[in-house]
Amino acid sequence: MRALIDLIIHNKHWFVFLLLEVISLVFLFSGNGYQKNVYFTTANDVVGTTYNVISGITSYIHLQEVNQELEMTNEQLRKEVYLMRQQLETMQQDSVKRMPALPKQYDLVNAQVVNMTLHKTNNLITINRGEADGIRPEMGVICSRGVVGIVYMTSRHYSIVMPLLNVNSKISCRLRTSEFFGSLVWQRGYSNIAYVTSVPRHAPVKKKEIVETNGYSDIFPPGLPIGVVQDIGDSPDGMSYFLKVKLFTNFSTLREVSVITNYDAPERRTLEEMATDPAKQDSVLINQEKQKELEKEQAASIIPVTTNENPINTDTVR
Amino acid sequence: MNSIVLLRIGRLFILLLLQVLVLNNIHLFGYITPLVMGYMVVCFHRGTSRVEILIWGFAIGLLCDMFSNTAGMGAAACTLIAMIQPVLLDRLSPRDSEEGLIPSITSLGFWNYTFYVFLLMLVLHGCFYLLDAFTLVDWPLTLLSIGGGSVFATLIILCIELIVHARRDPEHHS
Repeated sequence: MRALIDLIIHNKHWFVFLLLEVISLVFLFSGNGYQKNVYFTTANDVVGTTYNVISGITSYIHLQEVNQELEMTNEQLRKEVYLMRQQLETMQQDSVKRMPALPKQYDLVNAQVVNMTLHKTNNLITINRGEADGIRPEMGVICSRGVVGIVYMTSRHYSIVMPLLNVNSKISCRLRTSEFFGSLVWQRGYSNIAYVTSVPRHAPVKKKEIVETNGYSDIFPPGLPIGVVQDIGDSPDGMSYFLKVKLFTNFSTLREVSVITNYDAPERRTLEEMATDPAKQDSVLINQEKQKELEKEQAASIIPVTTNENPINTDTVR
Repeated sequence: MNSIVLLRIGRLFILLLLQVLVLNNIHLFGYITPLVMGYMVVCFHRGTSRVEILIWGFAIGLLCDMFSNTAGMGAAACTLIAMIQPVLLDRLSPRDSEEGLIPSITSLGFWNYTFYVFLLMLVLHGCFYLLDAFTLVDWPLTLLSIGGGSVFATLIILCIELIVHARRDPEHHS
């Protein structure tokens, strides 16, 4: 008996070896990883979690691609929403109130911010799209959260955008509910705060009201969100409000933006130029005179008919 | 004693991650996947209790199995080399060497160490792929993955050894 115990103790590694091998082979041949020994497969919680973490890390590598795709989809959807809203508006309007057709669509060009300053007086953003992509100065730039700024200069493949965070930037805007308009300016300091000036004192302004573009300028279509009223103050002359607005756009993390390329119908711009340019005004007047002459000619061609009719009428009256 | 256990646990996890996250994704020529988890067993110094080696070997084999869905194959293979390792190390170490000899290029000499690692790897891959081949009948392919895997794994282990020693040597001298 003692000899047997001695033998076991002396050769315990053989027994351990056989035991472990048997365990391994039992794992191997008992259903090889199906429901039976789920604990020893990747279905195990610990292993699953580990792989989850790893895939989290590896997916991080592809994040930029995914981001771009999302931004594209966003663009598409935003465009669609805009169109839908336009349609809804026209459908809801009374026939009496019906407005002339609004610009039915606008095109967006996606771009990435390649350089940006935030803490200067005249902050500028550089984006990686330029004239080759159809971008021209004075086009509106937006991001998924709201308005970013206006294209300021363009080169072939890059453009410089004057963001809201520039003391020279001035964007006309309105309060979403009351539609009173003002203009949005920025003062040096915080990169998420801007101010709305020249909102009349009789406007009903509340905190947390949304400030959006009003579509008066030919840069942004109406209704794009800019920010939310955070504080209500008075302008130095006391004639209007001076509203502190928290911007929706987070400039410090801004990366993907889009440029509104064809919102502005060139027709409108030429018309406005004509209105302000005296030389062109003349040409408008000339045009109008020509128009009048044409009308006269048309009237003259109708006159015989009316002259025929008139005597009859007068006769009957007599 | 405690620090040795900690060192082994650290080595276990590093090898596990290396095996599972990197090497399991390598399929050289389509079927050569090196099983570097065997390095765990290669490292045990002379005179370590054989039961201890067996348990550590079984542990890393089983952990790798869990991550690669090869239930039991890795465990069986690693346990087998854990059984052979002390015998092989005894044969290959110089006669006048101390009891606690740590197998390395410097202690065994380059060729002896390479031979030692290669033999262990050959047994490991042999066992692993033969168990695998119970379900696959294509034996030339099995032979290729055994041979290729052993050579590849030996090269990787030699690289690891060189890197670790480049760092560890100055401490030894001091």
